[in-house]
Amino acid sequence: MAAFLKFVGIRLSAAVVTMLLVSLIVFTLMELVPGNCAERYIAYKTTQGQMITEADVLAEEIRMGLDRPYLERWAKWVTNAILHFDLGESCLWRVDVTQLIGDKVAISLGLSFAALILTYIIAVPVGILSASLRDSWFDSSLRVVSYLGLALPNFLLALGVMLVATIYFGDTMTGLFSEQYRDAPWSLAKFGDMMSRAWLPIVILGWSATAIQLQTIRALMSDEQGKLYVTAARARGISGSALLLRYPARHALGPVINSIGFDLNRIFNDLPIVAAVLALTDAGALLLDALARSNDQQLAGAIILIMTATIVSLNFITDIILAIIDPRVRRGFF
Amino acid sequence: MGLFSAKTVKKEDYYTASQMQLVWARFKKKRSAMVAAGFLVFFILCGVFAAFIGPYEPTAAGRNADYTNGAPQVPQFCDDNGCSLVPFIHKVERYRGMDTNFRWVTRQTDERNYMTFLPKVEPYRMLGIPMEHRLFGVEEGFIHLFGTDAAGKDIFSRTLHAIGISLAVGTIGVLISFVLALIIGGVAGYFGGWVDTVLQALMDTVKTTPTIPLFMALAAFIPDEWSAEMRFAFISMILGFLGWGTLARRIRTHVLAERTADYVLAAKLSSAGPAHIIGRHLLPSFTSYIIVDLVISFPYMVLAETSLSFIGLGLKDPVNSLGVLLQNVTKVDVLLNYHWYFIPVPIFVAIVLAFVFVGDGLRDAADPYSERH
Repeated sequence: MAAFLKFVGIRLSAAVVTMLLVSLIVFTLMELVPGNCAERYIAYKTTQGQMITEADVLAEEIRMGLDRPYLERWAKWVTNAILHFDLGESCLWRVDVTQLIGDKVAISLGLSFAALILTYIIAVPVGILSASLRDSWFDSSLRVVSYLGLALPNFLLALGVMLVATIYFGDTMTGLFSEQYRDAPWSLAKFGDMMSRAWLPIVILGWSATAIQLQTIRALMSDEQGKLYVTAARARGISGSALLLRYPARHALGPVINSIGFDLNRIFNDLPIVAAVLALTDAGALLLDALARSNDQQLAGAIILIMTATIVSLNFITDIILAIIDPRVRRGFF
Repeated sequence: MGLFSAKTVKKEDYYTASQMQLVWARFKKKRSAMVAAGFLVFFILCGVFAAFIGPYEPTAAGRNADYTNGAPQVPQFCDDNGCSLVPFIHKVERYRGMDTNFRWVTRQTDERNYMTFLPKVEPYRMLGIPMEHRLFGVEEGFIHLFGTDAAGKDIFSRTLHAIGISLAVGTIGVLISFVLALIIGGVAGYFGGWVDTVLQALMDTVKTTPTIPLFMALAAFIPDEWSAEMRFAFISMILGFLGWGTLARRIRTHVLAERTADYVLAAKLSSAGPAHIIGRHLLPSFTSYIIVDLVISFPYMVLAETSLSFIGLGLKDPVNSLGVLLQNVTKVDVLLNYHWYFIPVPIFVAIVLAFVFVGDGLRDAADPYSERH
């Protein structure tokens, strides 16, 4: 048990170090971008017809603390984020970032995790099946699907779905809410309405990850199936799914669990673009807005930080799960 | 075995063949990879010689104001009036009448418009060489194989140029990330110890950060007044700077495994410096792996550029890329009426597929143990 706790401790500190590094990189990048928050805000004010002098910019910079040294500001940003879940103020809207993106980030994360779960629900059983039916028509058609998963990115698939849907159903299948619920407060009915539309973005978000994961699982299973311990088990008279699930599947599980965090990363990469195609104004498009149109580095930094934090936490959790179910991992690290 | 059969090649050839020859021999045996390589070469040629093959300029200069949102014109050899050896298209006319509710429409006539080959056109430059001929044209009027867009620009020409640009962005991006990966991965693997730990933490960080959102954040701050060329350079640079993580890790592993080999010790004893040992002795020992990794990472660069341009953060008109071509297709109007806007999509899917198959084939070919199967 002590050894296990030590393992958890090491992984945890590694995760924290990664997060600190990410925050430093993100902070630096946002810093390198031409123009700072104060200038942006002032420029915005100017368009509203106010006369602004150089002194105003300086005063605003001091108010925002932009005159402080760079590392000090980074430290402040990080400690506030950790201790108070406070990611600072949006450059343009003058609103607390946490408030601004709160439930939108929740929807984005919900969609992404739903896509992730869908990926594994499909990929694991179908991959195992495909490996056990190696070189059948089922297997070869799945290979084509996996190659398409690489070559047909999610947003092109979304475009294709839209094209077909408009031609045959006369509906673009876009948006996350129907008219009547768009601005309504959260309720069960609104949630139901969202779910009746959210399946399409979820399926599309999961598409590439599923196709590629299928191939990975198939390859892992095929590798394991040829090994001697499987032959030995077969010699003992175990066959069929009992053999498949008890021996090679358990071995193949490790790398699969390891890749969950990577798949979440893949889904996050696709989210803003798929959201833009499918006009999911409520979720991913906010990310797109913040990142793209508003030139709001505070908001952009916060969003990237949240995404990375999710991936890092997921990686941490999968590491722990892996150590619990696989004694070899524990022994390797202790 | 059976790679070099006894009939055609002697056994000594097998043992004296260079690494590249062995890889090529194995690669040739894989039919899917060879077919894909053929396609790839074809597409690359299309991209490089886009200006010659495409009948029009891909920019506003080449727009056809008489045929905006025009349907594709497919060359044919036969129609109701019989066949001809020279392919032709049908002419179109502007028409307005009772049956169209007195609105102007463009419709096809029965008149034939024969294609011509290597017609003389207004002088243009391809890759800096002044040229006066294009691959094909028509006797009079215009030919738009893939139709035209809302501004009347020829989608066929734009697609060809887009292939070239996307490949160029990918190449520059891959080269930058390659150089970074070489330096960082090489140093981490060669020195080991705390240098390795620090650099590995950096690699992990880059790998866990979702690159597209980060990229979007950066691309958003490109000033609007930047020229198309500067955008192009900037976009390829960021792609390269964000994509080196995986490759660096692979190079690190190779160097780590090789650095205790005898030939490295020999080099050290001959007082060679670290840069010399990494560059001249270690890296050449796995060049083939590096090439494979580069080919495999190439389509990801192209796709990343496509996604970014698609949402308007990457390249912009007048530079063409698949993403730029697809910028306006989500409008219901386009979805319902102008399906030829989507013609570039299958072409790009084919290019990425070709890269994937070639990459797979190369990976198998570069693996000396793959023959045992």
